[in-house]
Amino acid sequence: MPYYLKKRITDIIINIVMLMFLGLTLLPIGWMVFSSLKSSTDIAIGRVGLSQTLDGRPKIQWENYVDMWKNVNFGLYLKNSLIICGATMVIAMLLSTLASYSLSRFKFPGSDLFSNTILATQMIPAIMYLIPLYIMFVKFTVMTGIQVKGTYWGLILIYSAFFTPFSIWILRGFFASIPKELEESARIDGCSALQVFWHIALPLAIPGIIATGIFIFLTAWDELMFAWVLTNGDTMTIPVGIRLFVGNYQNRFDLMMAAATVATLPLVVLFFFLQKYIVAGLTAGAVKG
Amino acid sequence: MIFLHLVPIVQGMYMSFLDLNQFTLQRYLLAPFIGLENYSKVLIDPNSPVRIGIFEAIRNTVLYTILVTLGTLSTGMIVALMLNRKFFGRGVVRTFFLFPWIIPTYVTGLLWGIMWLREGGLINVLLVDWLHILPSKPSWLTGPNTLWAIVIPTIWRYWPQSMLMLLAGLQTIPEELYEAADIDGAGPWRKFWMITWPMLRPVWFILILFGLIYNTYSFNIVIMMFGFGAGFPGEWGDLMMTNIFRNSFQLWNFGTGAAASVILLIVMISIVNVWFKYFKQAEEMR
Repeated sequence: MPYYLKKRITDIIINIVMLMFLGLTLLPIGWMVFSSLKSSTDIAIGRVGLSQTLDGRPKIQWENYVDMWKNVNFGLYLKNSLIICGATMVIAMLLSTLASYSLSRFKFPGSDLFSNTILATQMIPAIMYLIPLYIMFVKFTVMTGIQVKGTYWGLILIYSAFFTPFSIWILRGFFASIPKELEESARIDGCSALQVFWHIALPLAIPGIIATGIFIFLTAWDELMFAWVLTNGDTMTIPVGIRLFVGNYQNRFDLMMAAATVATLPLVVLFFFLQKYIVAGLTAGAVKG
Repeated sequence: MIFLHLVPIVQGMYMSFLDLNQFTLQRYLLAPFIGLENYSKVLIDPNSPVRIGIFEAIRNTVLYTILVTLGTLSTGMIVALMLNRKFFGRGVVRTFFLFPWIIPTYVTGLLWGIMWLREGGLINVLLVDWLHILPSKPSWLTGPNTLWAIVIPTIWRYWPQSMLMLLAGLQTIPEELYEAADIDGAGPWRKFWMITWPMLRPVWFILILFGLIYNTYSFNIVIMMFGFGAGFPGEWGDLMMTNIFRNSFQLWNFGTGAAASVILLIVMISIVNVWFKYFKQAEEMR
């Protein structure tokens, strides 16, 4: 067999295997969306097709999505999640942009220690923060009468503090990849350090900053443990709300799947529009090593 | 910022020496000082309620971390190699492969919890009713099978990330190396082990490092899968994080919870140090 033919056949076989694996990967997601359109009993007995009406015609249960907003109070959770994740994103992005720029450009006493500490914070189990923080929040309220646990800003403060170190770590790579010569020549032309940052470094780092922002948003959207302990009925985020709902209605699989689909939807939209940045942000660490 | 990190950590370490539970919570840091008793309650004392299940949790965490890290890396590597060719629709295929990675982890736990159900779960329907691979429907959410029930969804959720990073690494390898190997008559296996593998070392280093850290601290997928956030994962599904969380916030034993997380922290720091040392040595050997 000639070489090019052999290569062509291997290529086709690899493509088929790849597409089959792709199907297998997407199957759970498809199943989630499909299940959200079936009745709860049909999910429980493992009926593969659509649910049926009494006279045997297939029926798509769109009303699951209507019931979900009524039974789960999903609107409130969605609002809370958007407020908390959005505010966290803005605060953590501001802090990490400034911090990572100064770390990548200026040497100051303790800058090495600071960068090492950033990596070290990633090693500390979250529960180790959570126990003292919970007690601190409760104590603070007892002592001063100011409510912290169950407020937006309590959780936003905590989230910003926890997502900033990792964001600094990602962003440092982006700032490091901007050639120093550009900034040096601007300095010679008479720009102040602040002007160099504002007019040269910042515009060049915008893709990295967007990528980091998305990353923070995704992580905050996904956070369950802190939100579980530190929110109350009015400030619950989506994961806590879903957990509470499925704890109370163990057999409403249809509503669970509808809620899961809606919780995922904003991320899918975000992903489709900003995929370029997400990929850039994820791979930044890989290439620089 | 440093305040928000340092104060809880120092407090957490101090609390691990205090008898802190729902009765002494009022006294905060003035709760009775009991020295190392919390540590003994976690690890040694056979009568303490906290120690029940801790060794199962440690075993599961070790197995889980190793299996998930290996699984995500090998799946990611294989798919990255498949995608690192020129073919029609490559960008679209890559985008779809990334899909599991944007599903929130709590949704992952919830969704797979339903898929693993004994009667009516998609997995059993596929394996038993359609493909007839297994003779009878196994129960995935109780007994030793639970280890697989938590490992597989985690791999499913996280492998696209490894794939993307490995793919980025693959694209930095200069084409000339492979051309030179072709001239020398090297086969695909040889090319992989002699060129691709060593060139990807920095990526492997980072991926294994973060794999070890994040998987050891995994929480969402496991907690959402069993009883949908309310249940006990069972002796083969319980991880350190879920164990400590349950002891701290459902049994209100804050002191022992703090002690257990200090132990976890010490273990993690030693593992990361060993890994850094090993990697440095391996780099110098080359």
